[in-house]
Amino acid sequence: MDKVTVYAAVNTKIRAMEGDFLKREDYMNMLQKKSVADVTRYLKDHTSYGKLLGDIRIDNISRRDLEDILKRNMIKNMDRLMHYFRDDYRDFIRSLYIKYEIEDLKSLARAIFNGKKPETMEKPLTFLGKYSRAEAEKLFKSTTIKNLIYSLEGSEFFEVLKPLLDGKRENLFRFEMALDMGYFSIIQNRRQKISAKDREVLKKWEGMVADLYNIQWIYRGKKFYRLSPEELLNYTMNFGDKLTFTDRKAMCYAKNLDELYRMTMDSGYGFLFKKEEISRDIYMERRINRYIYYKLKALTRKYPMSIIQTIGYVWSLEFEIRDIISIIESIRYELPPDETRKFLVKAS
Amino acid sequence: MGVEKMKIVGVIGKNALLSRVLRLVVLNGSMHMINALVRVNSSDFFLPPSEKNIEALEELPFLKPYSSKRDFSHDEEVVTSLLNLFGLKPQVRLEHLGQDYDYDDFMKQLLDIYEKVHSTDDEINERMRSIEKKREYIESLKYLTKYSFDIGRLTDMKYLAFRLLKISRENYDKLKKNYENIPAVVIKVAVEGKYVIVASITPVSLEETVEKIFSSLNHTLLAMPTGYSGTAAKVMEDLTNSIDEDQKVIDSLKRSLEDYRIKYAKEFEKGFSRLEMEKKVEELKSDLAVGDKLFFMFGFVPVSSVSDLKRELESQFKEDVIVLVDDINNSGPGITPPTKLSNAKLFRPFETLVKMYGTPAYNEKDPTVFFGLTYMLLFGAMFGDVGQGLILLLSGLVLEFFMKRTSMGGVLSRIGLSSTIFGFIYGSVFGSEEIIPPLIIRPMANINYMLVAAVVFGIVLIIGGYIYNIMNSSMERNVEEGLFGRNGAAGLAFYLILLYAVSHTALTNSGISPTLVYAMAGLLLLMVFKQPLASRLTHADKLYRESPADYYIEEGFGVIETLLSMMSNTISFIRVGAFALNHVGLYIAFATMGDMMGAAWEDIAILVIGNVIIIGLEGLIVFIQALRLEYYELFTKYFRGDGVEYLPAKLKGITPATGRLGFFHNRRISREIGMHIFATL
Repeated sequence: MDKVTVYAAVNTKIRAMEGDFLKREDYMNMLQKKSVADVTRYLKDHTSYGKLLGDIRIDNISRRDLEDILKRNMIKNMDRLMHYFRDDYRDFIRSLYIKYEIEDLKSLARAIFNGKKPETMEKPLTFLGKYSRAEAEKLFKSTTIKNLIYSLEGSEFFEVLKPLLDGKRENLFRFEMALDMGYFSIIQNRRQKISAKDREVLKKWEGMVADLYNIQWIYRGKKFYRLSPEELLNYTMNFGDKLTFTDRKAMCYAKNLDELYRMTMDSGYGFLFKKEEISRDIYMERRINRYIYYKLKALTRKYPMSIIQTIGYVWSLEFEIRDIISIIESIRYELPPDETRKFLVKAS
Repeated sequence: MGVEKMKIVGVIGKNALLSRVLRLVVLNGSMHMINALVRVNSSDFFLPPSEKNIEALEELPFLKPYSSKRDFSHDEEVVTSLLNLFGLKPQVRLEHLGQDYDYDDFMKQLLDIYEKVHSTDDEINERMRSIEKKREYIESLKYLTKYSFDIGRLTDMKYLAFRLLKISRENYDKLKKNYENIPAVVIKVAVEGKYVIVASITPVSLEETVEKIFSSLNHTLLAMPTGYSGTAAKVMEDLTNSIDEDQKVIDSLKRSLEDYRIKYAKEFEKGFSRLEMEKKVEELKSDLAVGDKLFFMFGFVPVSSVSDLKRELESQFKEDVIVLVDDINNSGPGITPPTKLSNAKLFRPFETLVKMYGTPAYNEKDPTVFFGLTYMLLFGAMFGDVGQGLILLLSGLVLEFFMKRTSMGGVLSRIGLSSTIFGFIYGSVFGSEEIIPPLIIRPMANINYMLVAAVVFGIVLIIGGYIYNIMNSSMERNVEEGLFGRNGAAGLAFYLILLYAVSHTALTNSGISPTLVYAMAGLLLLMVFKQPLASRLTHADKLYRESPADYYIEEGFGVIETLLSMMSNTISFIRVGAFALNHVGLYIAFATMGDMMGAAWEDIAILVIGNVIIIGLEGLIVFIQALRLEYYELFTKYFRGDGVEYLPAKLKGITPATGRLGFFHNRRISREIGMHIFATL
């Protein structure tokens, strides 16, 4: 089908939905609030979230409740967009859920591993089962990682996790890594099924994300986990935009962190390690997200009639929720507004 | 007919006999247990002071509730695993329980057999696992058949470790590109779909490092056998032979199990029956009282079964037990006689519908006959059709006799019969009114007649309800409700006068005579002052049971409610006529649709579908409407339904279990449904 017919409708819908995004002054106002209830009330009275929060009792709302509501809204909006697509494209859009479901699965696994009850967790695991179509109830009932893996039977995740079932090597680290690696191989397969033009945009976009995450992974692996270079390399994503396999390999085999910084500077991702040493670790994730956010904006301008519009909307919505949650967290830890702003992705 | 009379039967015997006596009681299956201590302490309990009773009388003041609780979980485990192992059906059989036996001795024997059987079973499982493992080895070895060298030399190396693994293609690429840094020799052995099978050899000292690297590639380790020598093909052959051997051993073990089965199957089944019995007996013990030497137990037994139970107890235990049989007096709280309904076969299935509302109290008149009769009439009048009635009758009979749903099927077949009879009266077969002439009336041709007849029928039923309540009250010696209550004699008189006045006015178009007005006002006053009047008549201590102000407020509203409900209850019955019309109307709708169709077969198809819908949908609605009339218009007048159901101690499964209505057998729910329907209709 002609790309205009495919994208004209969905892009109009996206423009309309983007109109609901929070404005800069909304963030500024929320930063001044003193409690979760105050932030929620602001969202209810002054933003498009009002209709979502209509009949919620605000006085004793918890962070978990609010996050759950926001994420459900995200699912609703993603489902709305899905109606504009058919067949392989619909599958592709659905695969956008994977990232969020994996995040929730990892949180659940962590809770199980630490012997905590999922109900008492801070994070609401809203996305469980959205992609895998596994029953969330069943997942919640699992008492061991092994059970959890068996509960995913029938989904693509199970294929990835199956090798962990041999008993002796089951642990949280491997569970998380296996899922992450699985994620990238699943989306690479999905990419094969969409049009050549879209594939090209995606390759650029996903390659860039992969580069950023790879550098972050190598840095963390070296600094905190002390993994061997071979393991580091095996756990990197096997594609990228600016970084080739040789670049990645060289980074993994860098003798020390300084050498890694130098290589990063040369690669064009130097901004990740800007400024003084202390801020590197805390702010790295935010730098990545902001970079992604602006890159997405640039890409959407450059390729107006492409799949990137939809992806851009979903990520942007994710960042918005992330920012709201960051604000609430900071209020709970009594961070001054100026400090909090340093953690926000969309507004600063 | 009605509620069966009960007697209180007490058994006193030596503690050693306790289990055996209880077993006999359970097998007899007629005793509704009551708490022995409550019975012993009740005012009318009397143990005649004779020589035979002397020991019991001595113990009487020192009775304690039976407390020690036995745990049967181990026995249960043994019995269920035996039954599972031999594929026996768990069922309780009378022949296993009849004879006199000692449960503990029996269980000990069973346990000995179980130990032997269990070890054999374990061995079988062990062999099965070994076969499983060997199959896995063969699967792995298949990848190596193209090489002709001694496998044993690879698997049994001392300083080097050999392993065979499966990793995904993508990960294999990563491995290949970084091969120079991997401290192992890695060879690609085979490619299988998305996966690559590789063999690796590492120095033992580096095994851990290599393990980590492979872990990061998300590998699956393929199992390799140790201690075999020869080429892969030969080892596979050896393994296959060894599997055959295992299989042979398993077969012979299974045969020996089969011997056990032949020899002991009966014992195992006995074990289940006896265990179930013992669990039931243990359950009953909580209602007993025990002293140092004797136990006391009491229960209600229907009059008809008393002599059987007494004879059985006395013939088996002779002088060792004392059997007491007492009549029921007002035994005080804690001892409510249970209600066992016994009705003619025609009405028995309706007991379930009555119990859905509530079990009649022991001293209440059983409404089942009245209910059954009126229910059949109501249903038939609303759903009168020869063809559809016969279908209901047939499906009811099938349910009752082939699927053992006695109450559901019974109700269905009876209302089906009534529907058929009314079908002849209305002259309707499968909705069509052209096949047979009506015996009495065509509903659609006489609409006003139908509606008036329905109301008149309703009036008759309501008067029946008043009479029932007056009878119930007189049985309870309740002057207040029976004589002056709004559902008692005063209410009935008021209702009759009201009916007369209304019909007189309507028919002759004249006013009401003042005498009637005074009479009605007088009756209303009687209803308002029912409590003080009744108290005066029975010479009670107090005129009012609560504060007079509260009483008069309540009764004042009661009068208004009486007036309203008399009217609404009566008019409510108009629906009987309305549904009779509706039945014809629905058919006409389908018949018209059928006519609009072109071909004859389409016409027939529409009529068949229409009839199915009418039976399913309208049948259900009429079923509920009739029930609603019974519950709301009639039961509220005379039926309290606060009795205790007669549940004798017995084992389920020996006698065929009585079926219940599948849907709403909870009385609260059905009441709610009734109220809801009243609110919506």
